Amino acid sequence: MQAFDMHVHSAFSGGVSSLEELASTAKILGYKGICFVAYPLSKKEEEILKAEIERVKKEFAIEIYLGFEARNVKELRILAKRRKEFDVLLARGGDLKLNRIACETPEVDILTHPEFGRNDSGLNHILARLAAENNVAIELNFREILTSSKASRAKFLSHMQRNVMLAKKFKAPIILCSGAINHFEMRDPYCLISLATQLGLELKEAKDAITKVPQKIIEEIKKRRDERWIMPGVEIIR
Amino acid sequence: MKIIKRLKILPPTLREKKRFIKFQVLSEERINYEDLEQAIWNTLLDFYGEEGVAKTGLWVIKNLWDEEKKICVVKCNHVSVQKVIAGLGLISRLGDTRVIIKILKVSGTLKGLEKD
Repeated sequence: MQAFDMHVHSAFSGGVSSLEELASTAKILGYKGICFVAYPLSKKEEEILKAEIERVKKEFAIEIYLGFEARNVKELRILAKRRKEFDVLLARGGDLKLNRIACETPEVDILTHPEFGRNDSGLNHILARLAAENNVAIELNFREILTSSKASRAKFLSHMQRNVMLAKKFKAPIILCSGAINHFEMRDPYCLISLATQLGLELKEAKDAITKVPQKIIEEIKKRRDERWIMPGVEIIR
Repeated sequence: MKIIKRLKILPPTLREKKRFIKFQVLSEERINYEDLEQAIWNTLLDFYGEEGVAKTGLWVIKNLWDEEKKICVVKCNHVSVQKVIAGLGLISRLGDTRVIIKILKVSGTLKGLEKD
Protein backbone atom coordinates (compact mmCIF):
# COMPACT_ATOMS: atom_id res chain seq x y z
CA MET A 1 0.00 0.00 0.00
CA GLN A 2 1.40 3.40 -1.03
CA ALA A 3 0.26 5.57 1.85
CA PHE A 4 1.02 9.24 2.33
CA ASP A 5 0.69 11.46 5.38
CA MET A 6 0.11 14.96 4.05
CA HIS A 7 -0.07 16.87 7.34
CA VAL A 8 2.93 16.66 9.67
CA HIS A 9 4.34 19.62 11.61
CA SER A 10 8.07 19.70 12.27
CA ALA A 11 10.08 21.79 14.73
CA PHE A 12 10.27 24.44 11.99
CA SER A 13 6.63 25.34 12.41
CA GLY A 14 4.38 24.45 15.31
CA GLY A 15 5.91 21.01 15.90
CA VAL A 16 8.33 19.47 18.39
CA SER A 17 10.23 16.77 16.47
CA SER A 18 12.97 17.27 13.94
CA LEU A 19 12.62 16.45 10.25
CA GLU A 20 14.86 13.39 10.71
CA GLU A 21 12.74 11.94 13.54
CA LEU A 22 9.53 12.41 11.55
CA ALA A 23 10.98 11.00 8.33
CA SER A 24 12.47 7.94 10.06
CA THR A 25 9.19 7.22 11.89
CA ALA A 26 7.26 7.54 8.61
CA LYS A 27 9.65 5.11 6.96
CA ILE A 28 9.30 2.58 9.81
CA LEU A 29 5.50 2.84 9.67
CA GLY A 30 5.55 2.13 5.93
CA TYR A 31 4.62 5.49 4.45
CA LYS A 32 5.75 6.18 0.89
CA GLY A 33 5.83 9.91 1.48
CA ILE A 34 5.00 12.69 3.91
CA CYS A 35 4.36 16.40 3.69
CA PHE A 36 6.01 18.75 6.17
CA VAL A 37 3.55 21.53 6.85
CA ALA A 38 4.72 24.97 7.93
CA TYR A 39 3.04 28.25 8.62
CA PRO A 40 4.15 31.11 6.32
CA LEU A 41 7.85 31.79 6.95
CA SER A 42 10.31 34.50 5.98
CA LYS A 43 12.22 33.93 2.70
CA LYS A 44 15.41 33.01 4.54
CA GLU A 45 13.68 30.48 6.82
CA GLU A 46 11.88 29.03 3.81
CA GLU A 47 15.16 28.46 1.98
CA ILE A 48 16.67 26.76 5.04
CA LEU A 49 13.62 24.49 5.32
CA LYS A 50 13.77 23.59 1.62
CA ALA A 51 17.49 22.74 1.91
CA GLU A 52 16.81 20.61 5.02
CA ILE A 53 14.00 18.77 3.22
CA GLU A 54 16.30 17.97 0.29
CA ARG A 55 18.92 16.63 2.71
CA VAL A 56 16.43 14.46 4.66
CA LYS A 57 14.86 13.21 1.42
CA LYS A 58 18.23 11.82 0.30
CA GLU A 59 19.13 10.44 3.74
CA PHE A 60 15.92 8.44 4.31
CA ALA A 61 14.92 7.69 0.68
CA ILE A 62 11.34 8.77 1.22
CA GLU A 63 9.20 11.24 -0.74
CA ILE A 64 8.95 14.53 1.16
CA TYR A 65 6.83 17.48 0.18
CA LEU A 66 6.63 21.01 1.53
CA GLY A 67 3.24 22.42 2.40
CA PHE A 68 2.09 25.72 3.80
CA GLU A 69 -0.93 26.08 6.05
CA ALA A 70 -2.85 29.35 5.92
CA ARG A 71 -4.22 30.40 9.30
CA ASN A 72 -6.39 33.26 8.04
CA VAL A 73 -7.85 34.67 4.84
CA LYS A 74 -4.97 37.12 4.34
CA GLU A 75 -2.35 34.35 4.49
CA LEU A 76 -4.46 32.18 2.19
CA ARG A 77 -4.62 34.90 -0.48
CA ILE A 78 -0.86 35.54 -0.30
CA LEU A 79 -0.05 31.82 -0.48
CA ALA A 80 -2.51 31.26 -3.37
CA LYS A 81 -0.67 33.94 -5.39
CA ARG A 82 2.70 32.23 -4.97
CA ARG A 83 1.27 28.76 -5.45
CA LYS A 84 4.04 27.55 -7.79
CA GLU A 85 6.79 28.00 -5.18
CA PHE A 86 5.75 25.13 -2.88
CA ASP A 87 4.02 21.75 -3.10
CA VAL A 88 0.84 21.65 -1.02
CA LEU A 89 -1.48 24.44 0.13
CA LEU A 90 -3.52 23.70 3.24
CA ALA A 91 -6.08 25.94 4.89
CA ARG A 92 -6.48 25.69 8.66
CA GLY A 93 -10.19 25.09 9.16
CA GLY A 94 -12.31 26.09 12.10
CA ASP A 95 -13.18 29.64 11.11
CA LEU A 96 -16.34 29.65 8.97
CA LYS A 97 -15.09 32.42 6.69
CA LEU A 98 -11.82 30.62 6.05
CA ASN A 99 -13.64 27.29 5.55
CA ARG A 100 -15.79 28.92 2.89
CA ILE A 101 -12.94 30.70 1.07
CA ALA A 102 -10.80 27.54 1.18
CA CYS A 103 -13.61 25.53 -0.41
CA GLU A 104 -14.03 28.22 -3.10
CA THR A 105 -10.32 28.39 -3.96
CA PRO A 106 -9.08 25.80 -6.47
CA GLU A 107 -5.44 26.47 -5.44
CA VAL A 108 -6.15 24.93 -2.01
CA ASP A 109 -5.40 21.21 -1.78
CA ILE A 110 -6.58 20.38 1.74
CA LEU A 111 -8.98 21.96 4.20
CA THR A 112 -7.62 20.80 7.55
CA HIS A 113 -9.92 19.93 10.47
CA PRO A 114 -12.95 22.12 9.47
CA GLU A 115 -14.58 21.27 12.83
CA PHE A 116 -11.64 22.51 14.94
CA GLY A 117 -12.70 24.59 17.96
CA ARG A 118 -16.33 24.71 16.86
CA ASN A 119 -19.63 23.52 18.25
CA ASP A 120 -20.69 22.38 14.79
CA SER A 121 -18.98 20.40 12.05
CA GLY A 122 -17.81 23.51 10.16
CA LEU A 123 -19.18 22.21 6.87
CA ASN A 124 -22.63 22.26 5.33
CA HIS A 125 -24.10 21.08 2.03
CA ILE A 126 -23.00 24.27 0.24
CA LEU A 127 -19.38 24.07 1.40
CA ALA A 128 -19.24 20.35 0.65
CA ARG A 129 -20.50 21.01 -2.90
CA LEU A 130 -17.94 23.81 -3.36
CA ALA A 131 -15.14 21.56 -2.07
CA ALA A 132 -16.15 18.89 -4.59
CA GLU A 133 -16.24 21.43 -7.47
CA ASN A 134 -12.82 22.86 -6.61
CA ASN A 135 -11.29 19.52 -5.67
CA VAL A 136 -10.44 20.60 -2.11
CA ALA A 137 -9.89 17.55 0.10
CA ILE A 138 -11.61 17.53 3.50
CA GLU A 139 -9.20 16.33 6.15
CA LEU A 140 -9.94 13.83 8.90
CA ASN A 141 -7.32 14.77 11.47
CA PHE A 142 -6.26 11.87 13.70
CA ARG A 143 -4.49 14.10 16.23
CA GLU A 144 -7.77 15.67 17.30
CA ILE A 145 -9.06 12.25 18.31
CA LEU A 146 -5.76 11.12 19.83
CA THR A 147 -5.27 14.13 22.08
CA SER A 148 -8.87 14.53 23.25
CA SER A 149 -10.84 12.31 25.60
CA LYS A 150 -14.36 11.60 26.89
CA ALA A 151 -16.87 14.35 25.96
CA SER A 152 -14.57 16.40 23.72
CA ARG A 153 -13.54 13.28 21.79
CA ALA A 154 -17.20 12.31 21.39
CA LYS A 155 -17.94 15.77 19.96
CA PHE A 156 -15.02 15.60 17.52
CA LEU A 157 -16.10 12.14 16.37
CA SER A 158 -19.68 13.27 15.86
CA HIS A 159 -18.59 16.32 13.83
CA MET A 160 -16.22 14.20 11.75
CA GLN A 161 -18.99 11.69 11.06
CA ARG A 162 -21.18 14.52 9.81
CA ASN A 163 -18.38 15.83 7.56
CA VAL A 164 -17.82 12.33 6.17
CA MET A 165 -21.54 12.03 5.42
CA LEU A 166 -21.56 15.41 3.60
CA ALA A 167 -18.34 14.73 1.69
CA LYS A 168 -19.64 11.32 0.57
CA LYS A 169 -22.97 12.75 -0.55
CA PHE A 170 -21.42 15.57 -2.60
CA LYS A 171 -18.42 13.49 -3.72
CA ALA A 172 -15.85 15.80 -2.15
CA PRO A 173 -12.46 14.12 -1.64
CA ILE A 174 -11.64 13.00 1.91
CA ILE A 175 -8.04 12.75 3.09
CA LEU A 176 -6.71 10.99 6.19
CA CYS A 177 -3.83 12.70 7.99
CA SER A 178 -2.14 12.23 11.34
CA GLY A 179 -1.70 15.99 11.92
CA ALA A 180 1.24 15.01 14.11
CA ILE A 181 3.33 17.65 15.84
CA ASN A 182 5.78 15.09 17.21
CA HIS A 183 6.88 11.75 15.82
CA PHE A 184 5.05 9.79 18.55
CA GLU A 185 1.76 11.17 17.23
CA MET A 186 2.31 9.58 13.82
CA ARG A 187 0.22 6.48 13.31
CA ASP A 188 0.32 3.31 11.25
CA PRO A 189 -1.65 3.81 7.99
CA TYR A 190 -3.77 0.74 8.84
CA CYS A 191 -4.80 2.36 12.15
CA LEU A 192 -5.88 5.51 10.29
CA ILE A 193 -7.85 3.44 7.76
CA SER A 194 -9.57 1.47 10.53
CA LEU A 195 -10.47 4.64 12.39
CA ALA A 196 -11.93 6.13 9.20
CA THR A 197 -14.15 3.07 8.83
CA GLN A 198 -15.49 3.85 12.32
CA LEU A 199 -16.35 7.37 11.10
CA GLY A 200 -18.62 6.13 8.32
CA LEU A 201 -16.29 5.41 5.39
CA GLU A 202 -16.29 2.05 3.61
CA LEU A 203 -12.98 0.16 3.78
CA LYS A 204 -12.17 0.94 0.13
CA GLU A 205 -13.04 4.62 0.55
CA ALA A 206 -10.84 4.77 3.66
CA LYS A 207 -7.91 3.19 1.78
CA ASP A 208 -8.39 5.67 -1.07
CA ALA A 209 -8.35 8.52 1.46
CA ILE A 210 -4.78 7.68 2.43
CA THR A 211 -3.48 6.47 -0.95
CA LYS A 212 -5.33 7.72 -4.03
CA VAL A 213 -6.38 11.17 -2.78
CA PRO A 214 -2.79 12.14 -1.77
CA GLN A 215 -1.51 10.63 -5.05
CA LYS A 216 -3.85 12.95 -6.98
CA ILE A 217 -2.47 15.91 -5.03
CA ILE A 218 1.07 14.74 -5.88
CA GLU A 219 0.14 14.49 -9.58
CA GLU A 220 -1.04 18.10 -9.37
CA ILE A 221 2.29 19.04 -7.74
CA LYS A 222 4.16 17.49 -10.67
CA LYS A 223 1.95 19.36 -13.17
CA ARG A 224 2.51 22.60 -11.28
CA ARG A 225 6.29 22.21 -11.45
CA ASP A 226 6.00 22.24 -15.24
CA GLU A 227 6.84 25.62 -16.76
CA ARG A 228 3.69 25.52 -18.87
CA TRP A 229 1.40 25.56 -15.79
CA ILE A 230 -0.12 28.97 -15.05
CA MET A 231 -3.03 28.35 -12.65
CA PRO A 232 -5.55 25.55 -11.95
CA GLY A 233 -7.24 24.78 -15.25
CA VAL A 234 -4.91 27.03 -17.28
CA GLU A 235 -1.71 25.82 -18.93
CA ILE A 236 0.18 26.52 -22.17
CA ILE A 237 -0.39 23.71 -24.63
CA ARG A 238 1.77 25.01 -27.54
CA MET B 1 -23.54 -42.00 37.11
CA LYS B 2 -20.80 -40.11 35.27
CA ILE B 3 -20.84 -36.31 35.81
CA ILE B 4 -19.96 -34.19 32.74
CA LYS B 5 -17.53 -31.48 33.87
CA ARG B 6 -16.99 -29.67 30.57
CA LEU B 7 -19.39 -28.36 27.95
CA LYS B 8 -19.45 -30.18 24.66
CA ILE B 9 -17.46 -28.26 22.04
CA LEU B 10 -19.55 -26.26 19.58
CA PRO B 11 -19.64 -27.51 15.98
CA PRO B 12 -17.40 -25.41 13.64
CA THR B 13 -20.39 -23.72 11.95
CA LEU B 14 -21.61 -22.34 15.28
CA ARG B 15 -18.20 -21.17 16.47
CA GLU B 16 -17.25 -17.51 16.26
CA LYS B 17 -14.91 -16.77 13.32
CA LYS B 18 -11.69 -15.49 14.83
CA ARG B 19 -8.90 -13.22 13.66
CA PHE B 20 -5.44 -12.73 15.16
CA ILE B 21 -3.86 -9.29 14.93
CA LYS B 22 -0.07 -9.19 15.28
CA PHE B 23 1.42 -5.82 16.12
CA GLN B 24 4.67 -4.27 17.26
CA VAL B 25 5.03 -1.60 19.92
CA LEU B 26 7.52 1.10 18.90
CA SER B 27 9.03 2.88 21.88
CA GLU B 28 12.34 4.19 23.10
CA GLU B 29 12.18 2.35 26.43
CA ARG B 30 11.48 -1.20 27.54
CA ILE B 31 7.85 -2.04 28.18
CA ASN B 32 6.22 -4.81 30.17
CA TYR B 33 3.29 -6.99 29.26
CA GLU B 34 1.07 -5.93 32.17
CA ASP B 35 1.22 -2.24 31.13
CA LEU B 36 0.42 -3.16 27.53
CA GLU B 37 -2.54 -5.38 28.41
CA GLN B 38 -3.96 -2.72 30.71
CA ALA B 39 -3.53 -0.02 28.07
CA ILE B 40 -5.28 -2.14 25.41
CA TRP B 41 -8.27 -2.86 27.64
CA ASN B 42 -8.54 0.69 29.02
CA THR B 43 -8.26 2.35 25.59
CA LEU B 44 -10.83 0.10 23.97
CA LEU B 45 -13.22 0.35 26.93
CA ASP B 46 -12.93 4.16 26.87
CA PHE B 47 -13.56 4.31 23.15
CA TYR B 48 -16.26 1.68 22.59
CA GLY B 49 -17.66 1.13 26.08
CA GLU B 50 -18.26 -2.20 27.80
CA GLU B 51 -20.99 -3.29 25.40
CA GLY B 52 -18.87 -2.39 22.36
CA VAL B 53 -15.84 -4.32 23.60
CA ALA B 54 -18.02 -7.31 24.50
CA LYS B 55 -19.04 -7.57 20.83
CA THR B 56 -15.42 -7.68 19.64
CA GLY B 57 -14.57 -10.86 21.60
CA LEU B 58 -11.20 -9.34 22.45
CA TRP B 59 -8.45 -11.49 23.94
CA VAL B 60 -4.81 -10.49 24.53
CA ILE B 61 -2.65 -13.58 24.12
CA LYS B 62 -0.05 -13.55 26.88
CA ASN B 63 2.14 -16.42 25.76
CA LEU B 64 2.74 -14.87 22.33
CA TRP B 65 4.23 -11.66 23.81
CA ASP B 66 7.80 -11.17 22.59
CA GLU B 67 9.55 -8.85 25.02
CA GLU B 68 12.70 -8.51 22.89
CA LYS B 69 10.98 -7.49 19.66
CA LYS B 70 7.98 -5.93 21.49
CA ILE B 71 5.55 -7.98 19.40
CA CYS B 72 2.10 -8.90 20.70
CA VAL B 73 -0.94 -10.76 19.37
CA VAL B 74 -4.59 -10.05 20.12
CA LYS B 75 -7.55 -12.19 19.13
CA CYS B 76 -10.99 -10.88 18.14
CA ASN B 77 -13.90 -11.95 15.97
CA HIS B 78 -13.82 -11.45 12.19
CA VAL B 79 -16.33 -8.59 12.12
CA SER B 80 -14.43 -6.49 14.67
CA VAL B 81 -10.97 -6.38 13.08
CA GLN B 82 -11.24 -2.74 11.96
CA LYS B 83 -12.72 -1.78 15.31
CA VAL B 84 -9.85 -3.35 17.26
CA ILE B 85 -7.13 -1.92 14.97
CA ALA B 86 -8.66 1.57 15.31
CA GLY B 87 -8.65 1.12 19.09
CA LEU B 88 -5.02 -0.05 19.10
CA GLY B 89 -4.10 3.08 17.13
CA LEU B 90 -5.43 5.19 19.98
CA ILE B 91 -2.85 3.84 22.44
CA SER B 92 -0.33 6.62 22.85
CA ARG B 93 1.22 5.87 26.25
CA LEU B 94 2.11 2.83 28.34
CA GLY B 95 2.58 4.31 31.79
CA ASP B 96 5.01 7.16 31.17
CA THR B 97 6.41 5.72 27.94
CA ARG B 98 5.20 7.16 24.64
CA VAL B 99 4.47 4.46 22.07
CA ILE B 100 3.33 3.88 18.49
CA ILE B 101 1.53 0.70 17.46
CA LYS B 102 2.56 -0.81 14.14
CA ILE B 103 0.21 -3.42 12.69
CA LEU B 104 2.22 -6.33 11.27
CA LYS B 105 -0.35 -8.88 10.15
CA VAL B 106 -3.96 -10.03 10.44
CA SER B 107 -4.69 -13.72 10.05
CA GLY B 108 -7.37 -16.28 10.76
CA THR B 109 -4.85 -18.76 12.22
CA LEU B 110 -1.80 -18.52 14.45
CA LYS B 111 0.15 -20.44 11.81
CA GLY B 112 -0.76 -17.77 9.27
CA LEU B 113 0.79 -15.08 11.45
CA GLU B 114 4.20 -16.73 11.13
CA LYS B 115 4.15 -16.66 7.31
CA ASP B 116 5.71 -13.65 5.55
